Amino acid sequence: MRRYFEKMGDVGRELRKGEVKRTEENVSALKEVEAEVDAAVERVKTTGLSTEKINERGQMTVWQRLEYLVEPGTWCPLHTLYNPLDNPEDTTNVIDGIGKIGGKWAVVIGFDNKVFAGAWMPGQPENILRVTQVSKRLNLPLVWLVNCSGAKLPDQEKFYANRRGAGTPFYRHAELEQLGIPILAGIYGTNPAGGGYQGISPTVLFAHKNCNIAVGGAGIVSGMAPKGHFDVETARGLIDKAKEFKADPPGTVKTHYDETGFFRYVFDEETEVLDALKDYMSEMPAYAPRFFRVAEPRPPKYPEDDLYRVVPLEPKRVYEFEQVLARLVDSSEHTEFRPDYGPEVYTGLCKIDGFLVGVIGNRQGYLGKGYPEYGDYPGIGGKLYRQGLIKMNEFVTLCGRDRLPIVWIQDTSGIDVGDDAEKAELLGLGQGLIYSIQQTDVPMICVVLRKASAAAHYLMGGPPANRHNAFTVGTAASEVYVMHGETAAVATYVRRLIKEDAAGRPLEPVVDQMNELAQQYQDHSRPVYCARYGMLDEVVKMSELRRYLVAFAGAVYQNPTSICPHNHMILPRIIKG
Amino acid sequence: MDQEMLAPLAGQVLSIKCAVGDAIEEDDEVVVIEALKMETPVFAPCDGTVKEIRVKEGDSVEEDDVLVILST
Repeated sequence: MRRYFEKMGDVGRELRKGEVKRTEENVSALKEVEAEVDAAVERVKTTGLSTEKINERGQMTVWQRLEYLVEPGTWCPLHTLYNPLDNPEDTTNVIDGIGKIGGKWAVVIGFDNKVFAGAWMPGQPENILRVTQVSKRLNLPLVWLVNCSGAKLPDQEKFYANRRGAGTPFYRHAELEQLGIPILAGIYGTNPAGGGYQGISPTVLFAHKNCNIAVGGAGIVSGMAPKGHFDVETARGLIDKAKEFKADPPGTVKTHYDETGFFRYVFDEETEVLDALKDYMSEMPAYAPRFFRVAEPRPPKYPEDDLYRVVPLEPKRVYEFEQVLARLVDSSEHTEFRPDYGPEVYTGLCKIDGFLVGVIGNRQGYLGKGYPEYGDYPGIGGKLYRQGLIKMNEFVTLCGRDRLPIVWIQDTSGIDVGDDAEKAELLGLGQGLIYSIQQTDVPMICVVLRKASAAAHYLMGGPPANRHNAFTVGTAASEVYVMHGETAAVATYVRRLIKEDAAGRPLEPVVDQMNELAQQYQDHSRPVYCARYGMLDEVVKMSELRRYLVAFAGAVYQNPTSICPHNHMILPRIIKG
Repeated sequence: MDQEMLAPLAGQVLSIKCAVGDAIEEDDEVVVIEALKMETPVFAPCDGTVKEIRVKEGDSVEEDDVLVILST
């Protein structure tokens, strides 16, 4: 199959002098948004106690542990800004991402021991569910850095119970284990109650000498003699008991290494725990990359930094999708599927780090005379029409058949509307695409390059309607909303305008409300907001997008649960004809 | 030699980025057309001088209408 993959067709071109000249402002504008994202990330990194304070206690911070654990240059953080329940600490108190440990890709998650000693906090269960989903979808080991003081008690009603409460990670751990996905846990510090279950629920436990895990910690045990109310006498009793338990808390290594054996290993130094995790990770089942690679990995021919010039921040501006693709894929090469059909959508095979992937993306701009073929109006890229929907249905189905992971690159304003579009069956073809995606059972990544809007966000591999979506990244240009704010303002207020006008009342108050709604849409669709509320799993710099794709492809092909031999693939042959 | 710059699609002229007599370089943005809620820029195909501008902002244009003539 070398002839199909070693040298594929060229895509893209160098930027012309004029393009470089006229895109200076766009570069600055995108980098300005990226600086806002950086500032938000910095707030998460510096929340809670200082690094110095933690180090003075003889502990490393979660950030220091991650830096020691993960191979340099491979860390792809996820959910850094995720904080759906607006914790004032700017975090759900777990830090996660994918990276290489001991030469193998893993999903990594750790409690931030700078904040309430790594407590459970509102939004954290949903964060952990997302993380376990990444592990499950990519079939990657999950590595925990447990350092969890249990529930942040004053906020318990926001996360303790419920269908997606703080207990759900534990059945998800069990579920991963049933699927053959191991969970390794390095355990530090005091982990009572919820922290205890965070400690015991993984597969193999690596303990630091000063750690403990327990059904109930010193705080609970010392408080187990209530009179039904508190008085000074009770308080003094509590002080004495707490001191006693602090000196010798339940569930130390003396119990869980020497007695129960829950801790498989105990180490004197914090770094030794991490060394042991690296050691175990190096022995995790994984194919050598050459088993699946179709060619030697090569960088794109054109600089990734060009993306700051290729992708306009202004959502109404058009650009060439092929110029984006050429800056993300190996050697800037591809093999396009049905280039003469459904021009609003790109579908094709590309290589990422030598691995074969299917890529689907929205083209932008005018689609030419006579398209869409069913309407007497012009078609414009970003929208989806009958042919594009049919083409995507075919392509994802064939990717599923050939076991090819799919990279979705979204910049879509929605599906064509109107009676012509209804007669052209777009409603059914859209849902048909969701069905096609569901039956592929291959891992997918979604890149919200710019607009993610209307049902098109769902059916183009977006996370709301795609259980094969491993994660979704956005950029400084990302906007996620059901429709553009101005469109929403019209839809909401047009009847009111008519009514006010007919009654002879002034329109200004309604117009003000329309502007307010449009502004609200703008504020609630920007990258930091989307990452905070989970619409994007991470906002990634334009120049870092390829690194995430490399991580995704490497992770998918590390230990897949099913294989299509290269020599049995049908999609490359269908394209060749 | 004159070089005609044509409208790539039907729409409304949103902005004109040049004046008669301006020296233009290849790939400079000369006109922006708005259609279907999207802005489509029209770029100079080569270096030249703006000889004539056939449209004004707000005009409706059809595909292939002449927008600007460059002297090259």
